Amino acid sequence: MKVLALVGIGLLLLCVESVAVKSLGFSVTRVDVTLLLVVFLSLSAGLVEGAFAAFALGYLLDVFTGRPTGLFPFLAVLTYLVVRLGSVVVDARGRGLFALVTGAAVVAHGLFATFFTWLTSRAAQSPVASVSGLPLQAVLTMAAALALWPLLQRLDPGKERPEPGALR
Amino acid sequence: MRGLFGRYRDVFIVGALLVFPFVTFLSSGHKGRDPNVVDRVVLAVAAPIQGALTWLVDGVGDGVDGYLTLRGAREEARACTVELSQTRAELNTLREASLENERLRKLLGYVERSVDTEIAARVVGVNPSPQFLSVRLSRGESDGVHVGMPVVTPDGVLGQVVRTVSGSADVMLLSDPVSRVGAVLQRTRVRATVVGTGDGKRLALENTGRDADVQANDVVVTSGTDGIFPKGLVLGTVEAVQRAPSGLFLSAQLAPAVVPGTVEEVLVVPAVAAVPPAALLPQRSTP
Repeated sequence: MKVLALVGIGLLLLCVESVAVKSLGFSVTRVDVTLLLVVFLSLSAGLVEGAFAAFALGYLLDVFTGRPTGLFPFLAVLTYLVVRLGSVVVDARGRGLFALVTGAAVVAHGLFATFFTWLTSRAAQSPVASVSGLPLQAVLTMAAALALWPLLQRLDPGKERPEPGALR
Repeated sequence: MRGLFGRYRDVFIVGALLVFPFVTFLSSGHKGRDPNVVDRVVLAVAAPIQGALTWLVDGVGDGVDGYLTLRGAREEARACTVELSQTRAELNTLREASLENERLRKLLGYVERSVDTEIAARVVGVNPSPQFLSVRLSRGESDGVHVGMPVVTPDGVLGQVVRTVSGSADVMLLSDPVSRVGAVLQRTRVRATVVGTGDGKRLALENTGRDADVQANDVVVTSGTDGIFPKGLVLGTVEAVQRAPSGLFLSAQLAPAVVPGTVEEVLVVPAVAAVPPAALLPQRSTP
């Protein structure tokens, strides 16, 4: 149930972000709100329910793009698994480390998204344009992660994940 | 087999969640898919939230603006009253001319095509992913908005409808890297293709011969040859032209006629309808 609440929060945050970007102007770098929640799920949710929630969050982002292609559900689940794998080495279930892992995930996610978009659209323009805002996007998302941490702690989906690992 | 599935059930499920969207992406590429039931439900939930948030943000903004601009409003009101009187007199003359024009048209049997078929819509949100540049409108299928329809403002072209559900529609902006529009330079009638650069700020000119007459400040309009955008809509103004020492084509950067971040209301133009006259006229002055 708490996982569903996280997906609902994801939808609400996407709505808020879409209106905020419209009001502040297009030059504002996006905050990757769905990825923030995906990283949180990786660190706290059970394998299957977390994967479903990550898929749902990616799906929401896909729907919000206007041209859903399946790219973002794939990247969300991939990020979910990679962060779970990474948490074998570093247990990031603290506020600061959570923000850092989120920042790293934003950079990796952005690079993959740009690469796959470039690969399939064969756009003549350089993908550099999409990547140029990535550092600021990572910083803003990290700030959002720090700000949302208390809320996310309340919605920790059960704490039934005793040991970190990708497929446990 | 059943035991194997039971043993690795979780791994199979997670694998499916990973592989299924990836295969979908590889098969559909950048084209996307038509909205399914789940998409429609998500959009039906999101559109009212976006509309309410837009209303709230705009309301607060208008309130602050109204307060700040209150000073000096009295003098402005006096000036407006004078101007209004003059305009009324002019309007009366124009009405007379319009009635005369109508009588003459009837006399000649001229049938005028309606120009009131475009659909007014409000921008309620911006796509949160920087890889795809699109905005969401407050009108959708139920209002007559369909995929492929051009979206314009009085300044020029904003983009093209790429998805529509009952109460909202998504518009791919000209600056999206996938966007391609058939264009022509207003001054020299040189043909070109206007493409998005993906940064949301600039457009680029392609498929124009290296020796073509293209200069800074040239206005670029739609050519109407792509079968989507009607002829003569303003796309942007040439900012800089580069002619490489070799190669068939030149490259040029354009400032878009419409800055998406400042757009609040737009017009969706049905494919065969007349174009709103305001969109045909370049708002920027050209030397």
